[in-house]
Amino acid sequence: MSALYFERSGRDRVVAGVCGGIAARLAVDATLVRLVFAILALAGGAGIGIYLALWVYSGGRRTWVAAFLLSCAGAALLIGLGLHGASAIGAILLVAGLAVVLVRGGSLRPGGSLPLVGVALLIAGAVIFLGHSGARGSFIAPGAVLGALVLVVGPWLFRLTAERTERIRLQERADVAARIHDSVLQTLALVQRHADEPTRVAALARRQERELRRWLYGSGVAEAASLVAALADAAADVEELHGVPIELASSGDAPLDDRTRQLVLAAREAMTNAAKFSGAAEIAVYAEADPDSVAVFVRDRGSGFDRATVGADRRGLTDSIEGRLKRAGGAATITTAPGEGTEVELTLPGSRP
Amino acid sequence: MKRRVVLVDDHELFRAGVRGELAGVVDVVGEAGSVADAVPLIRELDPDVVLLDVHLPDGGGEGVIAGVAPDRPAVKFLALSVSDAAEDVIGVIRAGARGYVTKTISSSELADAIERVAEGDAVFSPRLAGFVLDAFRAGDQVGGDAELDELTAREREVLQLIARGYRYKEIAARLHLSVKTVEAHVSSVLRKLQLSSRHELSRWAQQRRLV
Repeated sequence: MSALYFERSGRDRVVAGVCGGIAARLAVDATLVRLVFAILALAGGAGIGIYLALWVYSGGRRTWVAAFLLSCAGAALLIGLGLHGASAIGAILLVAGLAVVLVRGGSLRPGGSLPLVGVALLIAGAVIFLGHSGARGSFIAPGAVLGALVLVVGPWLFRLTAERTERIRLQERADVAARIHDSVLQTLALVQRHADEPTRVAALARRQERELRRWLYGSGVAEAASLVAALADAAADVEELHGVPIELASSGDAPLDDRTRQLVLAAREAMTNAAKFSGAAEIAVYAEADPDSVAVFVRDRGSGFDRATVGADRRGLTDSIEGRLKRAGGAATITTAPGEGTEVELTLPGSRP
Repeated sequence: MKRRVVLVDDHELFRAGVRGELAGVVDVVGEAGSVADAVPLIRELDPDVVLLDVHLPDGGGEGVIAGVAPDRPAVKFLALSVSDAAEDVIGVIRAGARGYVTKTISSSELADAIERVAEGDAVFSPRLAGFVLDAFRAGDQVGGDAELDELTAREREVLQLIARGYRYKEIAARLHLSVKTVEAHVSSVLRKLQLSSRHELSRWAQQRRLV
């Protein structure tokens, strides 16, 4: 790939993004590039010509044509400004030398070789040009010097930014290390300490896995797309929060829509109740879905309860479970008695018309 | 007399854990981590029950059953796994395993399951019951033996209660049956699952793989 290959910047732009593109390509500050172009523009409008040529040929296509056009643009501008004979030839040589240096690639990169032909043309051009332009060249001289300066300072600037990139990379690495230390290593230490408590270990591992996934793949795990997947997520959450293992079984599956989402939320509430109040050692959840209906059963073998003794202010059962199902067009049946355990049955009629 | 058990699982740590849990309850006579090691070992030891991982590096639990069952018909297999695709679990059952339990099972329940399998019963965890209901989901019957291709209403009921987390005793009480009858229903489902040439069963597995 040629050193001249660049794309106009879509984001960092003042006119057409040429300067932004060059800056991105060379990994230097866009303001610096703009400054160079501004000063070159003062030098008889050469900066504008070069800018236009680059604009037309952005994308790195036909670089030799671009270089030729650049030379022509530069020379034509200088001649248009009233430069004749030797100074015009000098200017052409100067621009051509610059073009060769850029096109041959690698000149602005550390370790890249400077094409000798280009440098020779550049120096010869500068000597002839400065020697013959006299007083009229008072604005042109700084431009030529600046061009040479860019070639010399460029690699150094590039190396500087490369170092900065490296520093950022090391910083990121340190962040990752800190993150892993805080999460994964802590979890592994906990796992070792609780090696004889499989439920605890499993819950720790599951939580860590989900945390790591969220962190690695953005703001969260890709959301569950089906009823069973969403129930599995809910079960994992409740398991993690209350430390009671939940066994999930299913037959068939249904897509997740507004109604089934309500069903999952109600099931989650039922699991939470079972985990918090029943005292059962495990909870069984079974989902059965076919086109005609969807049913979810949440069962525990815990203490059970008497509906009559549950205070009216306890919203979980009436609002979060029964009310939710009713609003979704389904029904919730709660079978329980003190000492008998509890089973919550949530049903939705099929969504198919 | 304690039951003689062989563990087949490619995770040594897991085998050590199970062996520890079952110490004193059953006699763990051997262990293997691959199909190639397991088949000669089981033929040699002739144990009562083999605890079998569904997934093994050189094939699955199916491979172990296929290698052992013809010569050692008395050896019973119980599949034990973390969380598997339904078609893999059904595959091991159809190959000849008499049950499937998940690795989160408690020690006492596992010991109980081994005992039941050794006696020739079937052991269905809630998860397996769900898978089986799914596999036998009502569909158009395609030829074959009608008796083998359909679950009876009662069998369906029993399976659904297993999936909902009920134990055999609780199911018996709820359906006003004896525990023996419940066991008979489960064994009958296992037989249908293993013997049915039901087209839907393979089509079901195919679809699950494609989804």
